[in-house]
Amino acid sequence: MPGDRAPRWLAAAWLAVVVVALLYNGYVWGVQRRTPETDFLALLPQGENDPAVARAVSRVADAAQQYVVVLAGSTDWSQARAAGAAFTKIINRHPDWFNSGAAAALNQDSALAPWWAHRSALLTAADRRALQTNAPDAWARSAMQNLLSPLGTGRIGAWQDDPFGLFRNWLQERGGETPVRPTDGVLRVDDGDLHYVVLPVRLRGQAFSFLAQRAMAPILDSAMLAARQSAPGVKVMAAGIVLPAADAARQADQEMSTIGLGSLIGIVLMTWLALQSLRPIGLVLMSIGVGTVGALAVTALLFAKVHLITLVFGAGLVGVAADYGLSFLSNRGRVDRSSWTVMCESLPGLALSVATTVVAFLGLALTPFPGLQQMAVFAAVGLIFAWVTVVVWFPVLDRAPGDESRLASWFGGTRAHWPTLQFNRRTGIAAAGVAAIIGIGIARLTPNDDIRLLQNLPPGMMEEQSEVGRILQIASVAQFYVVRAESETALLAREETLRAQLDSLATTGALTGYHAVSAWVPSQAAQARDQQLVRERLYQPRGALDQLRTALGESPSWGRSLTKASATAPLTVSDWLGSPVSEPLRHLWLGPTSGEWASVIAPKGIDYDKLAALRGAAAATPGVTWTDKVAEISALLGRYRSRMAWVIGLSYAVIWLVLLPRYGKRAWRVLAPSVVASLASLAVFGWLGLPLQLFHVLALLIIFGSGVDYAIFLMERPLAADTWLGVGLAAVSTLLSFGLLALSSTPLLRAFGSTMLLGITISVLSAPYFCTGRDAARTAPAA
Amino acid sequence: MTLVVARAVALTVALQAAAAQGDANMDKVQALLARPPVLCGQFDQSKTMVGLRRPVKSAGRFCIVAEKGVLWTTVTPFPSTLRLTRDEIIESQGDKVTKRLSASQEPAVRIINDLLFSVMAGELKRLMSAFAVDATVDGKSWRAKLDPRESGMKTVIAGIELNGGEYVKHITIREASGDRTDITFSGVVTGVQALLPAESQAFEPAKPRATPPGGDAR
Repeated sequence: MPGDRAPRWLAAAWLAVVVVALLYNGYVWGVQRRTPETDFLALLPQGENDPAVARAVSRVADAAQQYVVVLAGSTDWSQARAAGAAFTKIINRHPDWFNSGAAAALNQDSALAPWWAHRSALLTAADRRALQTNAPDAWARSAMQNLLSPLGTGRIGAWQDDPFGLFRNWLQERGGETPVRPTDGVLRVDDGDLHYVVLPVRLRGQAFSFLAQRAMAPILDSAMLAARQSAPGVKVMAAGIVLPAADAARQADQEMSTIGLGSLIGIVLMTWLALQSLRPIGLVLMSIGVGTVGALAVTALLFAKVHLITLVFGAGLVGVAADYGLSFLSNRGRVDRSSWTVMCESLPGLALSVATTVVAFLGLALTPFPGLQQMAVFAAVGLIFAWVTVVVWFPVLDRAPGDESRLASWFGGTRAHWPTLQFNRRTGIAAAGVAAIIGIGIARLTPNDDIRLLQNLPPGMMEEQSEVGRILQIASVAQFYVVRAESETALLAREETLRAQLDSLATTGALTGYHAVSAWVPSQAAQARDQQLVRERLYQPRGALDQLRTALGESPSWGRSLTKASATAPLTVSDWLGSPVSEPLRHLWLGPTSGEWASVIAPKGIDYDKLAALRGAAAATPGVTWTDKVAEISALLGRYRSRMAWVIGLSYAVIWLVLLPRYGKRAWRVLAPSVVASLASLAVFGWLGLPLQLFHVLALLIIFGSGVDYAIFLMERPLAADTWLGVGLAAVSTLLSFGLLALSSTPLLRAFGSTMLLGITISVLSAPYFCTGRDAARTAPAA
Repeated sequence: MTLVVARAVALTVALQAAAAQGDANMDKVQALLARPPVLCGQFDQSKTMVGLRRPVKSAGRFCIVAEKGVLWTTVTPFPSTLRLTRDEIIESQGDKVTKRLSASQEPAVRIINDLLFSVMAGELKRLMSAFAVDATVDGKSWRAKLDPRESGMKTVIAGIELNGGEYVKHITIREASGDRTDITFSGVVTGVQALLPAESQAFEPAKPRATPPGGDAR
């Protein structure tokens, strides 16, 4: 039998556990410096995560997130340059954050030396066709025509080293991969009447870190402002995947301070008005805090990498623990007994409520998704920690409450007059009507897991990003091909097979072009074939070279070096990697990955209506995987959503079984408020035409946890006004902390918040209607 | 492509002699030069190439039409035509187009045209940014030396020299590679009548195909 006073040794023992958890957290996050995993691929079930694809995705994303590209444009080129200079001047003042500008004009001759040396093995597709069809004299004549042109000829070496312009054409084709041209010492791109200076800014450090974003964003803004102000009518645009991230962070910051502050004020005010003391809210926050600390520690112990999504949602789920504290503090009420006695009385209800919620959350762990497993562990451990804190510490720390406030006594009193479920004709008709309305609403519900729905860019930013992408013909970072083969040259050959398909797709407008390593380094087979073709078609006796020599009146030895140059070792990828020309594209080459070679082909100018054709090209080529990050994340969200929905459904069934021994035939009444609340909120979204997303379902899980808690508390002490007060306080505090998120402009938070708002409201209002006590259950076994 | 740009610039500069600027003499050269909307004449070109024993010679007609472009018609050693228009560089032999480079394929084409047309409009500042100009005037004739300012241009062009009076008479382009091009102009005629019928046609936009019967509402 428990004594009157809370056992101090229990509280002390728990303190020791909490301190250990705190120390472990300090070690993990402070000493080991672990950072939360942000890679969405880590959320895929084990075995579905293809290492080559994972590597490709992170390489492409890393390469992209390091850059912001700013365009400063004007119809007057000199004004554009002035704007560019104004921008660069400000950026250059912050060498600790930015690496501005394209590297100093690269020495073309040395940068392209490997290609010049292998020019006999490099052909454009057009020249290859022409070599197969055109007669030698046509080649000799076109070489003469090039020579006579006042526009000049080659750009590397002497004219006689590339008299047929094959290498020049090849180089021009490479140049065609980007519309940007070095001009007057800066980079230039034209679009219609506007001439733009291209200002690539390389970000130093972790571009996605909050601190870095906070420091960089204002500098970028002021540099862009300076560019805009340098001349009237200068158009300045920026693109880079950091920009939306930085903006989202800024927005989240703002909302945290407005919604967060509003929610805090609301909770403090509520507690003060109801309990005439702020101590309870401090205690409740402490219990959630301890829950989070414990959850973090155990999750970090069990999982090498803790995913960001776990922290975000896990913390929300732990918030359910507020129910325990508030329930106890209200039950404690004005009764003139020791806290520990009240606790011992509340214990069965509290135990049942934590058990049900933990069982529900652990259901998530049975899914194969690492993200849900982590969330399950995090939430379950967090709830248990918070619960133990309430049970062990609250009776020690609690002080006898002051006088009951008028608000509290009014609210407690409403319980007595609350309508309760009666089995009669009227109830039957109303239930049928409600069921019909809910049923139709749910039937109208359509899921939409498109990740882009979760984006919330300020007006114009998205347009600006895609405008810059269009002008610069930037390759997609979200959609690309991963190509694999057993060796370097087999990989290049496989790329060539895919490129042949892409070239024909380009004629249908599905894409405008692509970046591929094999465009710079043809496979050994292709090099040998092209070299052979050139030798056969141009260098044979009395061939094009001989005819050209005759026309020029040169000696028979002229042009020998050309035929000799044909005998070099093949060009390799390491030649390309070693040259500065590969700098913007090096991320495409993944090299050897777990026993195979892999690379990325990045399509440009994708027509998103023809994505299926691009996907089809991968299916038609062995060793090629089409990766569509947008589609994959969306699909992943969809799978998480449906899994979670199943888990919630199953949880209701399991909880019903758990409740059966205590409540018998009335066990369904505990589940009813949550079920009605969940179905009704879903129906509202259906009626409003809002798409169903993962974040709605996540909210349903919390509604389940909280709703069952409310119901158990009310069932345990059916007519006690203070229990009803505790439930009311718990609901209002949940509404204030989560429901206010419905005001957020971030779609994800809004979806979550509005579900919480509806669901918690309905579940708390319907709880006293259904939960009319366990008297029947209690008496049932006795009877 | 830098070379093509540089050459095109040099050519236009030379033909219009707008290069003669950058100091006080610039205005004098400007004043000496006639800037007719249409200008045609003969050219003699000699290219001295590294690795070739003899200079390669050619001759033909050239025309410059303000706002439209440049036509360079080689007659000897064999006929071929080079046309620079707003958005394209087109090389042809007879009716057959042997090479066509459009701004959409190669943005430098637009840059050539930008410079070309800005030169024709008398916007000389743009050339000043690419070349240091040293001009001397002697009575009614002048000569100018253009040195590339920017290192990228310097790797291609070593220098350009031009001289003339009312029109440009001679251009020498020295390339960094050691190649050298000499062009001499003669028999300059101005005005619309300077254009041969074929030449004026070359600048007309391609006519749309005949409308099918009944297709024309009028």
